[in-house]
Amino acid sequence: MDVALRALNRFGLGARRGERQRVSDPRGWLKAQLDGGAPSLHASDVPSPGVIGDAVRGLRMPGQRDAQERREARRHLVELSAGEARTALEARISSDRPFVERLVAFWSNHLCVSSGSKILVAPLAGAYERDVIRPHVLGRFEDMVLASAKHPAMLAYLDNFQSIGPSSPGARMGQRNNGAKRGLNENYARELLELHTLGVNGGYTQADVQELARVLTGWTIDGIGGPGARVPQSTQARRANGAIRRAQPQPGSAIGFTFRERLHEPGTKTVLKEHYKEDGLAEGERAIRALCRHPSTATFVATKLATHFISDDPPPAAVDRLARAFRSSDGDLKVVARTLIEEPEAWRDDARKFRTPQDWFVAVMRAFGANEVNPNAPVVLRQLRQPLWSPPSPKGFGDAMQEWADPDSLLNRGELARTISRQPAMAALDPRALIEVVDVPAGNPLHSLIADTSIPAPERVALAIAGPAFQWR
Amino acid sequence: MTMNRREFVRNMCYGGIATFAAPRVSFAQVAQNGRLVFVLLRGGFDGLAAIVPYGDPDYAALRGSFAFKESELTPLDDTFGLAPGLSPLRTLWDSNELAVVHAMAIPHRTRSHFDGQAILETGLDHPAGSSDGWLNRLLQVMSGRRSGIAIAAGMPLSLSGPYQVESWSPTQLGAVDDAFLERLAVLYRADATLQNRFEAALQQQELVGEEPMARGTARRGAITPLMQAAARILRQDQGPNIAAMEFSGWDTHANQGMAGGALDRLLGQLAEGLVAFRTAMGPAWQTTTVVVMTEFGRTARPNGTRGTDHGTAGAGFVIGPHVTRAKVVSDWPGVGQNALYEGRDLKPTLDTRAVLKAALSGTFDLTAAQLDRVFPNSSTVRASSGLML
Repeated sequence: MDVALRALNRFGLGARRGERQRVSDPRGWLKAQLDGGAPSLHASDVPSPGVIGDAVRGLRMPGQRDAQERREARRHLVELSAGEARTALEARISSDRPFVERLVAFWSNHLCVSSGSKILVAPLAGAYERDVIRPHVLGRFEDMVLASAKHPAMLAYLDNFQSIGPSSPGARMGQRNNGAKRGLNENYARELLELHTLGVNGGYTQADVQELARVLTGWTIDGIGGPGARVPQSTQARRANGAIRRAQPQPGSAIGFTFRERLHEPGTKTVLKEHYKEDGLAEGERAIRALCRHPSTATFVATKLATHFISDDPPPAAVDRLARAFRSSDGDLKVVARTLIEEPEAWRDDARKFRTPQDWFVAVMRAFGANEVNPNAPVVLRQLRQPLWSPPSPKGFGDAMQEWADPDSLLNRGELARTISRQPAMAALDPRALIEVVDVPAGNPLHSLIADTSIPAPERVALAIAGPAFQWR
Repeated sequence: MTMNRREFVRNMCYGGIATFAAPRVSFAQVAQNGRLVFVLLRGGFDGLAAIVPYGDPDYAALRGSFAFKESELTPLDDTFGLAPGLSPLRTLWDSNELAVVHAMAIPHRTRSHFDGQAILETGLDHPAGSSDGWLNRLLQVMSGRRSGIAIAAGMPLSLSGPYQVESWSPTQLGAVDDAFLERLAVLYRADATLQNRFEAALQQQELVGEEPMARGTARRGAITPLMQAAARILRQDQGPNIAAMEFSGWDTHANQGMAGGALDRLLGQLAEGLVAFRTAMGPAWQTTTVVVMTEFGRTARPNGTRGTDHGTAGAGFVIGPHVTRAKVVSDWPGVGQNALYEGRDLKPTLDTRAVLKAALSGTFDLTAAQLDRVFPNSSTVRASSGLML
């Protein structure tokens, strides 16, 4: 094993040509990446909150528009999503802090939203990664989870924006107005416990799920209208207009988080034996921080990190050390990332991880020295079965070999490699230059194939990136 | 020496290139006779538009402009008829290989595609953030030779889980020639972990078709070529025997149409695909069961955009020689106003798991305890009686 390549491929997102020689102190190179600030994107590359708000609202009122307006809203959405995907992928492909970018992708997947199952998420997914993950990826876990809980993408994805306390004034009023029964939606509370913090065997009950859902009632989306946005007026005013005024969001306005007291379930709640006295928004903030500090959370998160960075079957000693770092630092993710670098198991010869389709694609682009991606990249990732921000369930994408190294996918990578290698831009690429980004021992047949000038150069390029050695990191 | 792809693959798989080990995963275990294909119609397939209850006295009034005339249908009995598009299924009906299940629904009430598909695919009775698919659980609890394959553009949740499964899809990301695959195979030989998987991929290609563009011709969305490709994989003696397939386009909120309309054309493709599958299976058809299901039915009445919205109970099919006889299996609730679920949907009277349990026990040797492991918390749900031999 080449230690520099291990740092570049395992911790980073794939070596670029020339980097192997430059990285003389692999651990130091990784640690230095943690010392910069939060990895934010250039403001000029990202859409304004108002543009995103309009795209979301465009999806919310399809019934009242004519075909032309619907087409326009659709075009707006497609353009917005494509731009967001391109920006995010280019950040991974061109980053000089690839370890930090890998961490962004990891946490974005851990607290995933998916535009595949809820169209409302589509215009928000890029903003979610920018606003929730990037600012906290080297900060504190609980701040990240809290930001996630309050982001419109998560509120929409796991339905919390529609969850209403059954005894809240909002529920009673809703019933009086139209007879429709509205109430608690446990979806987010369940996944917050099961997938974001304690883990499925973390020691909570169905009662905890329901109580946590009650704690989080009233956490909703601002700026999209809808039932949650009815605002009560004084009794006098109500008598005067005989109706309840509905807040109308302005075009061009941002959408965001709001706490609506009148949708919030009143009373004391009990989550994991902790009592939460009626305290509005603060109840949920306290509950989420408590979940993040729960011992099960440290173990759950440590296991997931060890699985991602070390092995599909991570060594318990490594999980323990990561969990301890997480607990003793109060969930400081920079400390946890530094512990990962120091983790001896991650540098062992026999530890290796199969590249997921996104990993593979990004590594290919980096090996080629690309700085921008083809507009087709999101489509390609979908064909490789790992579309950006569209995991099939709230569990996010897995990263075990078992999930990705199926026969058809290996063949797909071969086909795609051949397609990419035929592109005119690849003509200048000397296949022999690619061998330095692939960790292959002497004597591996890749060495002789890549040097065999009787094979057309584009085909040798394809062999380098489609061959088994490039499938691992 | 150059070989053509066919020779190359055959040599690889059957020992011409001596150093290849026999594939561990796919084609080298003892026989389990049955074959099962689970076809998921994603989007909510309109059971009332497909299996038409023309003999129900409330039908015409309920469906209004969506009501078929008896003369347009292929009658199955005094109550039900096949919609015009489904008329190719008549041949399966006549050979006593088609059971229609109606007024069937998943065990949890939801009108969300996401939750509905998750429940149908995990085989659970509630939506859960993470779970194995029931087909994967089936592979885990079965004994004897068995192997699962996703014949789909992605890995369906139904087949996901710890039991290793294979995959084949018509997704082709570029043309590859034999020389390239041959060299790639040389590289894969140096990787003990991935070598067998790559071999299996070439082998499936071989099963699916001799033409190099076989993947290209079974394009996404075209049902018949994909069903034929599936048959070429599943009919092999040592091939996979449990398959998941999926087709989308059933979410007909607008302009679903009548005879010759959008939905009817899709039904036609489905029916032709199922019949083509039987033909292509050849003798292996005798051990095969195909189950067709959807996450939910649709609203009983047309909506304001000449379509239907997300509803509750719907219809499905169980097809194959193990079916008792041609019949509509349903505890029909009727479609009068008071009979509808929440006043708008066909009322569920049959649990999808009851149908799946019957299909499984009619196809494989499985105990009730094994079936309860495939479908957790389902011990009170009995396999539908009279559905399978």
